[in-house]
Amino acid sequence: MATLASTQTLTFTRESARKTGNIPGNLAIWAAILAEMSEFAVMFVVYFLAKVHNPEIFATGPLKLNTLAGTINTLVMLTSSFFVIRAVIAMRAGNQVASARWLWGAVISGGIYLLVKYFEYRWNTAHAITVETDLFYAVYYYITFNHFLHVGWGSAAIIWVIYRINAGAYSSTEHEGLINIAVYWHMIDLAWITIFPLLYVIR
Amino acid sequence: MNQIQLVNRLWLILIALTLFSAFMAEQSEQGLGSISIMALVLAIKGRIIVDYFMELKHANRLLRTLMQIYFYVIPAMIIAAYLYPEQIARWATLK
Repeated sequence: MATLASTQTLTFTRESARKTGNIPGNLAIWAAILAEMSEFAVMFVVYFLAKVHNPEIFATGPLKLNTLAGTINTLVMLTSSFFVIRAVIAMRAGNQVASARWLWGAVISGGIYLLVKYFEYRWNTAHAITVETDLFYAVYYYITFNHFLHVGWGSAAIIWVIYRINAGAYSSTEHEGLINIAVYWHMIDLAWITIFPLLYVIR
Repeated sequence: MNQIQLVNRLWLILIALTLFSAFMAEQSEQGLGSISIMALVLAIKGRIIVDYFMELKHANRLLRTLMQIYFYVIPAMIIAAYLYPEQIARWATLK
């Protein structure tokens, strides 16, 4: 009886949420997003603590990093997020073909990001910047490699959603899977726009 | 302005803000003014993505607040770490 009541409540909540647009996607993806944002928050706390204890190396560290690579990747991440919202808008207008096309734009952006990061890491190694150089670069590698992994599996998830779109799984009114990956991808973007000033810009 | 025009414009604003940050990164001296501007740029970019790309502007208030807090706290930490590094280091030292 209790189970039935809670199922009805859940159904009611989900229906009303869809009607008013209260929660984009489903609650599970938001639990994941908030958990990931908390994980990144812990990393940022580590960054701030390491910075106030080691002001000298955190003042010189960003100067030796490749600002161009960091800037290109910021532009690429923001653009990928733009592609994703355009895919959502296209799907709502009932245009599945355009929606999938915008998502391919996001996947290509993710690929460019990973490639730029790979060359940035190689450039670092050539300039004697490794995880063991000093605490700034240890923090830099820990945070950026973690983010690198997120872009990797986020891109893979977008490819899955494109496959679902092509399989006709989504319509202009029913496309929760697309919204879920959309908000998750924006979270990956949010993490990067925070990482960029902390590691590349502010000294 | 429809939603497509709105997100197109916001994308251009985000690009412009990023190029501005990159320009700031190349400046030799960073003071309270430039640090505050960079913190503000982060706050604006975060707010745009949360409200218009994640579409939380008119969504569940708790979710929106939780996401927005991030882009108040981290810019504030950036300024605090610049102004009071020694005090924060003292508070965060185990004795």
